[in-house]
Amino acid sequence: MKNTELSTIQDIKRARTRKTVIICALFVLTVFMVFVCLFVGSSKMSIEECFKALAGKSTNANNRIMLYIRLPRVIAAIVAGAGLAVAGLIMQTNLGNVMASPSTLGVSNAAVFGANLSIIGFAGGFLTMGKNMADAVNTFNPFAVSAVAFVFSVASTLLVLALCRLRNFSPNTIVLAGIAIGAIWTAGTTILQFFATDVGLSAAVIWSFGDLGRATFTQDYIMIGVVGASLVTFFCLSWRYNAMLGGDNVAKTVGVNVSALRVASLLIASLITSVCVSFLGIIGFVGIICPHIVKKLLGHNHVVSIPMTALVGSLLLLIADTLSRSIAGGTALPVGAITSLLGAPFFLVMLFSKKERA
Amino acid sequence: MFEIRDLRFAYKKNAPVLNGVNMSLKDGEIGVLLGRNGAGKSTLFKCVLGIQKAGSGEMLFDGENIAKLSRIERAKLISYVPQEISFGDLTVFDSVLTGRLSHFGLVAGKADREVVARTLEQLELAHIEGKNVNELSGGERQKVAIARALAAEPKMLVFDEPTGNLDIQNEQLILTLAKKIASEKNITILIAIHNIGFAMEFGDKFFMMKNGEIKHTGGVEIINEQTIDDVFGVKAKIFDVEGHKGIVFGG
Repeated sequence: MKNTELSTIQDIKRARTRKTVIICALFVLTVFMVFVCLFVGSSKMSIEECFKALAGKSTNANNRIMLYIRLPRVIAAIVAGAGLAVAGLIMQTNLGNVMASPSTLGVSNAAVFGANLSIIGFAGGFLTMGKNMADAVNTFNPFAVSAVAFVFSVASTLLVLALCRLRNFSPNTIVLAGIAIGAIWTAGTTILQFFATDVGLSAAVIWSFGDLGRATFTQDYIMIGVVGASLVTFFCLSWRYNAMLGGDNVAKTVGVNVSALRVASLLIASLITSVCVSFLGIIGFVGIICPHIVKKLLGHNHVVSIPMTALVGSLLLLIADTLSRSIAGGTALPVGAITSLLGAPFFLVMLFSKKERA
Repeated sequence: MFEIRDLRFAYKKNAPVLNGVNMSLKDGEIGVLLGRNGAGKSTLFKCVLGIQKAGSGEMLFDGENIAKLSRIERAKLISYVPQEISFGDLTVFDSVLTGRLSHFGLVAGKADREVVARTLEQLELAHIEGKNVNELSGGERQKVAIARALAAEPKMLVFDEPTGNLDIQNEQLILTLAKKIASEKNITILIAIHNIGFAMEFGDKFFMMKNGEIKHTGGVEIINEQTIDDVFGVKAKIFDVEGHKGIVFGG
């Protein structure tokens, strides 16, 4: 064997070892962060108390804090982080656009419009027209707000995809149509907020902050169902996504039904986003940062990048949630603001350090 | 035996891109498609590969109409090497394995991995199988694209100007490799090449295309001053040195 071939093989072995170490480190870090996230909070429980509360053997107050406040919140962070991150990865692969994210199809904008409509127009319910927000104290129904938000985000996705059918689901058309439809929802939201009462406006704005504190076990179960089924579906399609990295024409010639796969994938990714945004509000940048971190560290092979992006998404949201509850001295900041605060500088670094490939 | 009979295609009504194309290639034969940009070569390839649905006419492989094959059956029969090659951030092995997708569907089995390993061995790429494709040179990437196409164990390969972005050395390397594949594996090759000099050395049969029609068909002897003037609209002189044909352009 030639010396150059030998050194190439050694390089490849080193790269494999590096990847294995990274994967193990991410697993350990995520498990560690689950406990940190469970154990950090304004009630200042000791670690021993936390373990006892987890087993339901502490004081009533501690048990309730751990099992009904912190645990659903941590589960929401794990599930929504994984879902939003993988939705971003799938959007990027299917649209051939590194800037694509779960909000590319205007899903988040539509959810915000739906929530605003429910809060401002229907006084926090479904169709309680004619009431104002003074009545909302009695009528505010968080599930109604989430349901209306969900309906609008799904409708927005279907509208974008229906329009793009006219152009054979070309990726550029989908991105541009998503931006345009998103702008319409944003305009609608602005108009609604213009006519809102002070109380309605503040309720609508607060709703749009990403907040894991809203999560209950019921919402967690719904998210686990949707995100779990979606991730399994995406994982099964890994090799089709790998083929799409070679371009639409190559993918078609190896047997992939590119249009059908693109539509189904975008629909599922939008569904994940709709569910998470409807329950938790806007959590930005997870869908952009996490796929990029994984692609940079471990490559793009979807067999690895789908589960690892899910893991990194969970990790990021756990870190962001822990930070959101620790840096403001007892007040939990919106986790969406923290992910954006972490994400935007990261994005700029990535933008300006990108090496041009030959 | 691969045959095309009276193939027609138009993106818009009254603007045909393929205007009754006819051609045939025997098993293991290399057919070279020559023509100016816009002559319809890429559209013809897209119809053969199933990327575009042909308007009318027939495309037959061993008598079977390939337009009626399922997407998967067609992918197993005909593979594609494009001009613009992209793989994403995949290793050489994974990139080549994507070419085998029509055989495994969801999860690649041991047999699929063995085929890929064998293909990499044959193309002398085995030592870089774990390397990221984006770190390779243009010639190596083109070889990986050929390996990806061969991983499907097809009966026919379609090359759309595979050497357009390569230097002369790599161009010769790739074409020699393609010729070796055709003879060793008895794979029919349909290829578009810009460099007529290389084409004459490389092909068994030539199809000179103009305005969506095959104007001249035959062996290397059909490439002469008149046909080049007719198809490309340029003056050229063909010369012969020790049995090797060459070409110079200009009055």
